Amino acid sequence: MFTAKAAAAPRHKRRGGSDLRTGYLLLAPWLFGFVFMYLVPAVMSIYYSFTNYNLLSAPDWVGLDNYIQIFTQDQNFRQAMSVTFRYVFIMVPLRLAFALFVATLLNKKHMGMAFYRVLYYIPSIVGGSIAVSVVWKQIFGNKGVLMSLLEVFGIEQKFSLLGNPDTALFVIILMGVWQFGSCMLVFLSGLKQIPQSLYESASMDGASRFTQFWKITMPMLTPTIFFNLIQQIINGFRVFTESYVITDGGPMNSTLTYVLYLYRSAFANFHMGYSCALAWILVAIIGLATLLLFKSQRAWVHYEG
Amino acid sequence: MKKIFRRTFLNVMGAAGAAGALAACGGSSSGSGAAAGGASAAAGGDVTIRITWWGGQSRHEYTQQLLDKYTELNPSVHFQATPSGWDGYFEKLATDTATGGMADIVQMDYMYISTYAKNGSLADLSSYSSDGTLDTSTIDEALLGSGTIDGKLVGIPLASTLLAFIYNPSVLEEAGVEPPRNGWTWDDFKSICLTVKETTGKYGFGGSAFIDTNLLNYWVRQYGVPLFAADNKSLGFDDQQILTDYFQLWKDLIDAGAAPNPDEYEQIATLGNEASPVITGDAAFHQSWDNFANIGANAGNDTLELLVPPVKEAGQAALWYKPGMFFSVAETSEIKEECARFIDWFVNSDEANDIIMGERGTPASSSARDYLVGSGKLRGKQAEMFNFATEAADYCGETPAPDPTGISEINTYFKDIAYSVFYGQATPAEAAAQFYEQANSVLAANN
Repeated sequence: MFTAKAAAAPRHKRRGGSDLRTGYLLLAPWLFGFVFMYLVPAVMSIYYSFTNYNLLSAPDWVGLDNYIQIFTQDQNFRQAMSVTFRYVFIMVPLRLAFALFVATLLNKKHMGMAFYRVLYYIPSIVGGSIAVSVVWKQIFGNKGVLMSLLEVFGIEQKFSLLGNPDTALFVIILMGVWQFGSCMLVFLSGLKQIPQSLYESASMDGASRFTQFWKITMPMLTPTIFFNLIQQIINGFRVFTESYVITDGGPMNSTLTYVLYLYRSAFANFHMGYSCALAWILVAIIGLATLLLFKSQRAWVHYEG
Repeated sequence: MKKIFRRTFLNVMGAAGAAGALAACGGSSSGSGAAAGGASAAAGGDVTIRITWWGGQSRHEYTQQLLDKYTELNPSVHFQATPSGWDGYFEKLATDTATGGMADIVQMDYMYISTYAKNGSLADLSSYSSDGTLDTSTIDEALLGSGTIDGKLVGIPLASTLLAFIYNPSVLEEAGVEPPRNGWTWDDFKSICLTVKETTGKYGFGGSAFIDTNLLNYWVRQYGVPLFAADNKSLGFDDQQILTDYFQLWKDLIDAGAAPNPDEYEQIATLGNEASPVITGDAAFHQSWDNFANIGANAGNDTLELLVPPVKEAGQAALWYKPGMFFSVAETSEIKEECARFIDWFVNSDEANDIIMGERGTPASSSARDYLVGSGKLRGKQAEMFNFATEAADYCGETPAPDPTGISEINTYFKDIAYSVFYGQATPAEAAAQFYEQANSVLAANN
């Protein structure tokens, strides 16, 4: 097929042909991986989502049954949706705000600034890991560090934040916000691209720092905010490790995130077909959220400058 | 903007990747896994047996010793071992099986054996049993029957276990309570727990009765009905009051602080079996299996005592001998005979049982039991487990059928619904009705 293509351009036959071949050859490992580890399974999972499949016996075609059951009967699905949307809508704005705040602080020329940038980025690198999740569990759990500290100050707690269905999700959210590093780096590079001359002329006109921030920094930064927003929303919908390790979805499903539920239905209950259907619903939700954000750009993102 | 779009697209596709990853685990489930079956018969007639089991650190260590010993005795047999904790063991086994890569010998649980047997993943070992390669004559018939499904011998029981209550004598003494004896009632249990809490401030009961449905199974059997109906399509009883009473008992204990609330329990569970309050001297009672006193001894407390679970009324035989675990051989294995030979050695031989020392439960094989008791090598707690199994016979009835498909979902509902009682969001009666409905719908959908 490649040679046929090359033959279609006889003038560059020799060079073009070998270039193409080399190109595809170099591309082959990735292409192979993409097709067989990714595309094929993804397409297969569409098929599985229409079957009853327990991994051990052959899939059994059930049409739309999985989807119908998910939308009409599955209370865990509703709970997982509600948890995940709450997580995304609270965590993402907080993370963005915090990342922007820290980025503004770090966007100065001081000695050792690079050190601080690294320091603040660390949570993002280690944040989603099992070990850190275990540490968080020990901090916020019953008889954990936090409760012990409160006790030192004479506040005796009968419950822990993680053990209470009303507060457990906030610990998970807090952990999400804490991983603001990559967001912060993007903001930092966005801040650096804003021409210094704008601020100079604004100060000459007597604009306060606060006004400068709202009239110059924010508008100039909207493309960066937009980028971060989309990234974080997508990542937010996919939250898993934190609730898996820290609370295992509990207490009473109060931290049952969507992907955790999907994982559970696949690998604890072995409803593979059902969880494939769940997965594709998540894909649709993320796709829709992204689409809406792109539509909204016109209203608030400024690309001039 | 273009650039942003491209990255975003990739990210959205990343989510699709999650869907893909699930499918990737699927693969061909139609057993053509001989190629991946892994047992490689090399030129010199050497074989490598792939074996996997679940357990704690001490089991991993002595099982590895055991494998080394076998290789020493049979230099042509090698092992590729994959030990694992209970968590995740069956998740991995299911994916391995689906891809045709099941280990040659797998440690199998009563909960899952029928699922695996019914889809043809497990080899029928009857021929090795009848030709003497694998001597099963030493194994109690009822126990061996639990590994026989649809007429095929798919699992060799290694040990039998019993539900047991464990108490810490020094905590009871501190509370000024006489240690209970077998045949004690639930009322005795409750009042002792409350007394312990009042006098010492410690937990009366330091575990959870909601990790799975085994204790509930025992509770329900005390009413003369099974937990699950014979066809596994529903619960085996109509009277929801049975469930209400169960929730009520534990709610009373938790409300009084005599048992850990869910919050406290999760924290306890994180620390593992070895740090259970009953072992550390922070609770009077615990509920587990009859090898728990052994676990306690390994963790540094050799004073724990075993009790038959409390009874509702005298003279009941609601307890049962549970096949502790099985060894099964993969249908895809190419060295089934070698596997059978190893299992025979594991179950029956003195050398193997010298190393196992009943850690997997009371050995299923009578020759192993006789050897261990006769050899005098059992340490105090190990010997007690053997005696306990004999003493408990009066309290034991027929072994119930393996847990139905969907049991893990039912266990999850059971725990969540119980927690809603302990958090004060539902009354025991409401919870009973809710569990009754949820369990029935799971059972109907899965069986």
